[in-house]
Amino acid sequence: MEGNQSYLSHINPSVKLIAHLAVMFLLMMISEPGKTLLIWTAFLFLGMIGGGWTIKYLLKVMPPYFVFFVLTFWMLAAFGKGETEIWQWAWFRITAESASNGLTIATRMLAFVTIGLLFTSTTCIHPFMMSLVHQLKVPPKWAYGFMAGFRCIPLFQKELAHLKEAHRIRGCRHNGSWQTFKRYAVPLLTNAVRKSERMALAMEVRGFTGDRDRSYYKKTIVTKKDYYYASLLVGSTVFILIF
Amino acid sequence: MMSSLLGCKNLSVQFYGQNQPVLKNITLQFHPGETVLIVGPSGCGKSTLLAVLAGIIPEHQEAKMKGEVTRKNRVGILFQDPDTQFCMQHVDDEIAFSLENKRVPKEEMTAKIKELLKIVGLEVELDTRIDALSGGMKQRLALACVLAMEPEVLFLDEPTAQLDPVSRREIFAVLKQISERKKQTLIMVEHVLDGCIEWADRIILLNKEGKVMGDADPNSALCEFESVIEEAGIWRPELYPYDWDEIINDSYHPLSKQLKERYRQRKANKVQVERSTLLEVQNLSVSYESKEILHNLNFRFGKGEWISIIGKNGSGKSSLLKVLAKLKRRNKGNILFKELELKNWKESQLYQHIGFVFQNPEWQFITQTVYEETAFSGEQQKWHKEMIETKTLALLEEVGLLQHKDVNPFNLSFGQKRRLSVATMLLLNQDILFLDEPTFGQDKRTTEKLLKMLKNRQEQGTTIVMATHDMNLVDQYSDRVLFFKEGALAFDGHPFLLFSNPQQLNETAIIPPLHYAYIEAVKEELPNGGQSVLSVSY
Repeated sequence: MEGNQSYLSHINPSVKLIAHLAVMFLLMMISEPGKTLLIWTAFLFLGMIGGGWTIKYLLKVMPPYFVFFVLTFWMLAAFGKGETEIWQWAWFRITAESASNGLTIATRMLAFVTIGLLFTSTTCIHPFMMSLVHQLKVPPKWAYGFMAGFRCIPLFQKELAHLKEAHRIRGCRHNGSWQTFKRYAVPLLTNAVRKSERMALAMEVRGFTGDRDRSYYKKTIVTKKDYYYASLLVGSTVFILIF
Repeated sequence: MMSSLLGCKNLSVQFYGQNQPVLKNITLQFHPGETVLIVGPSGCGKSTLLAVLAGIIPEHQEAKMKGEVTRKNRVGILFQDPDTQFCMQHVDDEIAFSLENKRVPKEEMTAKIKELLKIVGLEVELDTRIDALSGGMKQRLALACVLAMEPEVLFLDEPTAQLDPVSRREIFAVLKQISERKKQTLIMVEHVLDGCIEWADRIILLNKEGKVMGDADPNSALCEFESVIEEAGIWRPELYPYDWDEIINDSYHPLSKQLKERYRQRKANKVQVERSTLLEVQNLSVSYESKEILHNLNFRFGKGEWISIIGKNGSGKSSLLKVLAKLKRRNKGNILFKELELKNWKESQLYQHIGFVFQNPEWQFITQTVYEETAFSGEQQKWHKEMIETKTLALLEEVGLLQHKDVNPFNLSFGQKRRLSVATMLLLNQDILFLDEPTFGQDKRTTEKLLKMLKNRQEQGTTIVMATHDMNLVDQYSDRVLFFKEGALAFDGHPFLLFSNPQQLNETAIIPPLHYAYIEAVKEELPNGGQSVLSVSY
């Protein structure tokens, strides 16, 4: 959630979120692999034209999802029900129905990931939260709390890395057991509680009450282009769905 | 009947679940514009007193309270941990957060943010990421955020405890300016007096039981309550109450004599002993987050040597220590430990010979009690039960934790945790001990205990390698100092040779110990006579 300087990063985050969620919802109603594939590729192009994605970026982030894609497809295709048999070997039996079904679900998964990624990679956390407060009437308490929590993620990552090193030097092998988990979890959690208490206190003594009675340094607004973007996305998805 | 001044009368505070009050029967008053230091041993309730006066207790924290407290409406509080005071990603948003809470109109914000950044001396772009700031800069930003509240009283809870000495000086300088220019009331808890006592109006001393032991101006407090300060483990100021010019001009001043004597001692000790090599580094490069930060290093560590590693924050001290202990991968180069390439050492074997003490002792704790924690490495080595017991108990005795042997490590005090974390690395009689800023934020007493322990080990032949910011420690204990600057090894030799050569220290973040600065200043003061002053006293 860093945001970039692309065209899509200037779309109002709340509108963008609703539009993306709407497309995801519509996707669930499409059960033809071809149409799902079309929507997925459309979003890839959208990301490359308006979202600042490059081929290099896609090659970096997409591979794990492709593995997942193949696995999902294989599971549903080889073990699914169906009449028209295409291929059979040992206990694998692929039918036309199961293959189509597998392809739909797998592509849908891929499209979901892409749509979600397009949102997170073009949205900065601060305007997103501000937009939730202004457009979707989320209480500031939640929005600011979330932002404070977001700051903690890198702190925790660093702390976990330190813990691992410190345990290694003591000859502790991490073997994925319950014991190991506890050894990491206890200090991490105690520190998390301590840190969050301190953060909450620091915010409160700076006059934060969590209610809406405050001014705003950055205010997000909805403009025409946000509506265009939302209607373009939802409109074309509906179009694909119907025809 | 109480006046409208900030203060408390017969105040006692007790936390739920504790059978002793932290503060007992305290009566204090604070005048507008005053700068007050509250000092005392760790656990004496000085932070609690601050919390009560600032209104954190009872508003945000629960505690049983007796007595009267008069508070001010608009207060600002600066805490010690720079990282847990922010909730935003960027510098301007963070200050704006304070302004938003005060309902400052949007149009006025940018100008105010710029003004606040100027007051605290933080000259960065408005949209700088907070993660990219150093600890000292973060603390200045936190101060700007607090000042944005336009507080009548500014409370500071050990604002420099997590900063290096240079950043500490800078923060104190900013605070001094604020107190003078804006007639701001400052109430500050500190465990280091150097840098703030010079401009404080008043010092309040608390004792272990949470009672006020002294309340006086700094000068008389230092004289009258010397033993209390000593007992509390507070770092005494090196220079105060004397004036720098005064001691430079008067070579018979008691402090001048002391400094000259100290300089002479260090000079006499600067001999280097030949030692057999324990660890050798050839053409080593080290990186941090895929950026090379140290290039082409060559040095060797001898057996039983005490080596200090110094350099600015982010100069790669910690990374280097980790690379040498095989906790982190190197970029290129060779490291030979006991004449065998580090890569060829098996981890289980290597860590019988290498100990590593981390910046935060809590990271190292694995077991439930202090005893188990110390005995852990012995059990890993499958030692005989009786041997483990005798060795562990002896070690706990040595580090002064024997009476706490059944306590959970996480429940120890800050200083005890530090000692335990060192003890866990001593059971196997490791050949080399790496320490990453072990005295950071510790009071004087704990630091002294710790150093004595390490000195003891060094005399038995353990090599000590320590990354630190404390130049007095470097000067007093180490046989050798490695100074890193701009990715290279800028100095490798006896600390005397580094500190007594001011050209070397120019444009670095290193403040040499006082006696070197003194000798240097005397030389400058008397270009011809300087030599004679020195020769008379030696």
